[in-house]
Amino acid sequence: MRFKLIVVILTAAAAAGTPAWAQTRAAGRSITGSWEVYPLRGEGFGSGVPPKTPIAAPKPIPAPPLRQPHLDQWRAVQAQNAELTRKGLPPPSSGMACMPEGMPGMMGATFPMEILETPGQVTIIEEAYNQVRRIFLNATALAPEEAEPRYAGHSTGRWDGTTLVVNTVGVKESVRFRNVPHSARMRITERIRLINDEMLENQVTVDDPEYLTEPWTWTWMYKRWPTYRIEEYVCEDNRYFEDPTLRYQRLRVN
Amino acid sequence: MSPGCDRLRLALGVIAIGLISIAPARAHHSFAPYEPTLQIKLSGVVTEFKWGNPHVYFEIDASDAASGATRHWLIEGASTSILNRAGWKFNLLKPGDKVTVIVSPLRNGEPAALLKQLTLADGRKFSNGAAAGTATIE
Repeated sequence: MRFKLIVVILTAAAAAGTPAWAQTRAAGRSITGSWEVYPLRGEGFGSGVPPKTPIAAPKPIPAPPLRQPHLDQWRAVQAQNAELTRKGLPPPSSGMACMPEGMPGMMGATFPMEILETPGQVTIIEEAYNQVRRIFLNATALAPEEAEPRYAGHSTGRWDGTTLVVNTVGVKESVRFRNVPHSARMRITERIRLINDEMLENQVTVDDPEYLTEPWTWTWMYKRWPTYRIEEYVCEDNRYFEDPTLRYQRLRVN
Repeated sequence: MSPGCDRLRLALGVIAIGLISIAPARAHHSFAPYEPTLQIKLSGVVTEFKWGNPHVYFEIDASDAASGATRHWLIEGASTSILNRAGWKFNLLKPGDKVTVIVSPLRNGEPAALLKQLTLADGRKFSNGAAAGTATIE
């Protein structure tokens, strides 16, 4: 009887002393480490090493289900930008001004990213523009109207078994992913999970009652790059500027 | 799962990768201002080397291998991390170094160009990362 009581007390003490993160993530490999987007870009951004197990690439990101007149406006801008680029006159972009991509674009991992699991928090560091996201686990999510507008927004998360479910609100309205407008009520949900030891999947869902008729969803995949150390990327001087009259990206030659 | 089904999945994956690869580069800006196919070879002396992001640049006083004309050129490289992966180093070049470059010039005629291949005086060759494309001339 006394032995049973001791076991119960010890078990309770062990549970109480366990950090929150261990209670919440089911057993399985940590997602801590360096990652590159998959499929590997044939553009020099990646390791060039294919996955050990061949794996189908995610489907291309679909067009956004924008409400009218936003959908027609978006299509017109995309067509105009493609035409200008074809002529060698690419349109101005946030990158031209050395501004960070923000959410959700930063999770496209133009350059590799590092994920860190620590007690109560998952941190994602993008090499591109030194962007950082802090995902607070088991924290109360902010109401969109209470969230100070930020590039990366405000993220809270929880482990659903081995899937990290992340909720993000408070993305600045000036932040554009694929030129798609959004309101302060936009909400991004990510379901991040390991498919196997080296492949990570991120199912992204964007909801916005003001701009979208239905959720806009797509999947990004990342491949582990164990030996890669994230480099510094301060965008200090882009020599491209907006031509004041013709409104395209022009190189400062002198 | 049958081997046939595996092959189908692999084929679908290959098709999907093909579709993605025709999409424009997602770097922070496009290389559209540069001649898409024209490449020229310049030989000259480095006057400035700026190692930084979003792009590495260097300047050369160079003569066009074809015309012999001398001009001051701005040469655009990729980002520091891409060049590090391509074997460059932050101190690879310094003013006074003799270099030969294969580049695609700006379409608007200004003396700036996108690097395809850098050759140092000792013969070592460096690419500008795969995104910038490879040299198609000798």
